Amino acid sequence: MAESPARTAFAEEALTHLDTLYRGALRLTRDPDQAQDLVQEAYLRALRYQHSYQVGTNMKAWLFAIMRNLFWDRFKGSHKDDVSLDDVNEFVLYDKLRDEGAKPEADVLDKLAASEVVSAVEQLPPLHREVVLLVDVEGFSYKDAAQTLGVPIGTVMSRLHRARQQLQKSLYDYAVESGIVRSGGMKQASQQ
Amino acid sequence: MNCKDCADKLDRFVDRELNDTEVLELQLHLEGCPDCEDQYEFQTHLKRLVRHSCDCDTAPAAFREKLRQMLT
Repeated sequence: MAESPARTAFAEEALTHLDTLYRGALRLTRDPDQAQDLVQEAYLRALRYQHSYQVGTNMKAWLFAIMRNLFWDRFKGSHKDDVSLDDVNEFVLYDKLRDEGAKPEADVLDKLAASEVVSAVEQLPPLHREVVLLVDVEGFSYKDAAQTLGVPIGTVMSRLHRARQQLQKSLYDYAVESGIVRSGGMKQASQQ
Repeated sequence: MNCKDCADKLDRFVDRELNDTEVLELQLHLEGCPDCEDQYEFQTHLKRLVRHSCDCDTAPAAFREKLRQMLT
């Protein structure tokens, strides 16, 4: 069946954001097949509700909101309050390295494998993970992230802060396990 | 600005969410405070690392084509 030019143009524009949606879905579901199902359903829903998209607004944010709402409906139910992050020590990895005099501290980050960083992101609770995906990976402003997630900007900021603390904790654990730093924080990587 | 004020605003500075006045105040503090400057460099580096580690996944070509045929 031939689609209308307007619908085709809308779909074409929407598809320019496919990689963002797929990446987001992949990180949320942690499964390529489920990610494809989720993204496909999100696009079908977007076309169904095309009339609710306001031309000139952020289509990527609008599509991402559809996708993540479907994720919560399908994969997690509607119970978002059962996942939270306890407050962890302020910036574990940085503090440990600083305490042991490893300078510059940022050099240790270059020794971490990308797969471990992805794994650390995927270990975050979904409510925190999605904020990192939007702000850190996709470059959303706090305002756009808040709009996409349907929460106040302050919530975006607090989730992001805790997520970054947790990321540092996970990456520190990995750095110790892989010998990049000793458990006391002593840097070994400079000798490699 | 003291170190606590700086720490409170560091996320927003790294994320480019401060206004011009706040940016200037924070930059002035960083120029005179090596500890906060180190923290800033680390946070910026970590943010870049997360982005580069996670943004290399792209939708498979066959999936993209399937969607295109389905939607257009």
